[in-house]
Amino acid sequence: MFQAEPNNFRELRTTSRPDIILRMSHNEDTGEVFVGSSDAKVYQVNPGVENPEFIPLEGHTSYVMGLVDTGKYVVSGSYDKSLIWWNKETKERVRQIELAHDRWIRNLAITPDKKYVLSVADDMACKIWDAESGELVRILDSHIKITEQGFPNMLYAVAVSPDGKLVATVDRIAKIKIWDFNTGEELNELEAPKCYTWDPKARIHAIGGIRSVTFSPDSSQVAVGGIGQIGNVDHLGAAGRVELFDVSSGEKIHMFEGDDKHKGLVEQIIFHPSGKWMMAVGGDHNGWIQFMDLEKKEVIKQVKAPMHIHQMVLADDFKMAFGAGHNRLAVWTFEPEAAVEEKAEVSGEETTG
Amino acid sequence: MSMNPDRRRFLGGAAAAGVAASSMNLDILKAESLSNELKKSGKRVLLLWLAGGASQLETWDPKPGRLTGGPYQAIQTSLPGVQISELMPKMATRLHNTAIIRSLNTQIGDHGGGARLMHLGRRDEPNLKYPDMGSVLARELGRPDLQVPDYVSFYTATEGRGNAVGQPGFLGARYAPMFLTTDNKPANLSRLEDITDLDHKERADLRQLLSNRFAKGRVSESLGSHNVAYGRVRGLMSSEKLFDLSDEPQQVKDRYGKSLFAQQALVARRLIEAGTPFVKVARAWWDSHGQNFETHLELVTELDHVMSTLLDDLEERGLLEDTLVVTLAEFGRTPTINASLGRDHFARAWSASLTGCGIKGGTVYGATDEDGQHVKDNEIGAAEMFATIYKAVGIDPHHEYFVGSRPIPLVDPGTHAVEEVLA
Repeated sequence: MFQAEPNNFRELRTTSRPDIILRMSHNEDTGEVFVGSSDAKVYQVNPGVENPEFIPLEGHTSYVMGLVDTGKYVVSGSYDKSLIWWNKETKERVRQIELAHDRWIRNLAITPDKKYVLSVADDMACKIWDAESGELVRILDSHIKITEQGFPNMLYAVAVSPDGKLVATVDRIAKIKIWDFNTGEELNELEAPKCYTWDPKARIHAIGGIRSVTFSPDSSQVAVGGIGQIGNVDHLGAAGRVELFDVSSGEKIHMFEGDDKHKGLVEQIIFHPSGKWMMAVGGDHNGWIQFMDLEKKEVIKQVKAPMHIHQMVLADDFKMAFGAGHNRLAVWTFEPEAAVEEKAEVSGEETTG
Repeated sequence: MSMNPDRRRFLGGAAAAGVAASSMNLDILKAESLSNELKKSGKRVLLLWLAGGASQLETWDPKPGRLTGGPYQAIQTSLPGVQISELMPKMATRLHNTAIIRSLNTQIGDHGGGARLMHLGRRDEPNLKYPDMGSVLARELGRPDLQVPDYVSFYTATEGRGNAVGQPGFLGARYAPMFLTTDNKPANLSRLEDITDLDHKERADLRQLLSNRFAKGRVSESLGSHNVAYGRVRGLMSSEKLFDLSDEPQQVKDRYGKSLFAQQALVARRLIEAGTPFVKVARAWWDSHGQNFETHLELVTELDHVMSTLLDDLEERGLLEDTLVVTLAEFGRTPTINASLGRDHFARAWSASLTGCGIKGGTVYGATDEDGQHVKDNEIGAAEMFATIYKAVGIDPHHEYFVGSRPIPLVDPGTHAVEEVLA
């Protein structure tokens, strides 16, 4: 099996766009990706080629904030509060749930068996949907709706554990809720308060929140990402922050923070299947990728990205990484440079980066 | 016994400003305010100052379906064909008293310069210190027979506070604002417990006697301003209760909400009801270079609630007809969304609102292009905005003050009020 090494990680190519690419799902069978855009469209793209064509799927009316691949369908969720099931082959809209949530949908997740789609929105509900029929199965909704300061709370992200037993949801005020997937029972509430900055004096508003959550490959740990405490809440002016918790005890295992050159939000966290390292992506006006060694508990590498990355997906074999971000789509590889050049020679392609 | 520091600061500022007015040789006789009839009309202005620059795209001028539009959708309002941001559902049902102006081009894109322009209505001049809008309105609408402050300004956040200009300029310290920063109540306005009311009155009489003796045979605007300011102290002291919400019914307090902005809006309504001609409530800080949509979700939601509650309250009390409520900032925000999902400073095409007194409700004036990058119809600047505000409350914007022999019109010559939004 291919062994991805952070030291081999490097950019292959970028594609410029006028829009902001916010979400992405990878079709392992075809190598293509679906991306969700600020222009309210979902696009099918082959990121493996230069100047790829963006084939639009039209149906939403605002930012597309969630995309998951059920195998048969791609499901998208949007700030327009709706969910759409798309036929991956025909690109037709199979189903649309117009008012899936009462407020803006922020993100989607899918269970490892691909039977259920989970959506989170600013109505502070996590809804579990049957991936095939679109029926609503369960609602998880104990996050508070109004913050202590009287502002609307926001439910940013959701993850399902690899064993399929747990769900984690994360919000604006940096609360993490762990749920039993099968019963809907709330099992624990954790918190990462440094990820939420409330400025009561200078500017009297807040910034931050937990923007990303994911479980470790063995389902025993949960990692959350955001940004540290910010002095001037007008800007994303602090380093990205990842906190790692033990799920059963609720104890914080470690906090990873990048250096001052890599400020901004951690938009996504990805564990390597070995459990030995993980990566975080995000940014402020600029973007970055950060690698963390889970045994040494330290940041081992930080790489500048060509844009603020909103989401990254990896091919199952961990050879390729695809990033969605501000005005760009980007492709990276974990393959050693010699191996890629060799492949390019065989196929006759040129690489850039 | 020494005077308390806040009262001393008020009086010290009065004296200093009086000297400034004197040095500019304001001709008080020629610069007399408008008619007493206007003052008796009880017209007032309440300015909601959105400090730091609120986004027009997330408030009054949404651009749904455009890349510049951001994630929030536009919603239909009570006015056929007029949409505003979905973050303002309450205001969307209440536009019958409101005029939206979508065509401000004020050109100055830095906080200090922009705020100064939108407080003074014109650019600075090296040798002349102009009064800000509040001071002009305090002078023209203030009633000497009422024991209330003429100009109250709330600004609690520390960021941008220095930009929120409150200067009487050549009008003199009598029209300087009562500037509240750390508390919703003026600090140390109460009479000290160890001084009886009689003592206090007698001290004031003694000061007046000595001052009159000193002023005999002297002609000085600074002396006049100084004495007027002292003369108002007792009146201001008697208005302390207006700032105290403890006697406001709980139902009313609940309706406004618990936020600082809400509480200050409620105090503002009490002041307006009591006859204060100009109140500014600054809500800072809207400068969303990063995470514009989260910041605006918080702040516009609050603005929508507070503004709609305030307008309902004023209307139910029969005050809205004589009270002009203005939302204004130093500028708007860029249509282009930066990589931190923020919007930056933008003075080229932005929006404001006018509600109530003198306004033709249910109107929209001006328009920006489809991406909000430029004004395409009926562009106006700060001077036109000020002329409109003055005219809405019955003040001729071309009225002139005289500084020495120089006539100074309220707004720059050649500018006119936007008649289309005036009743």
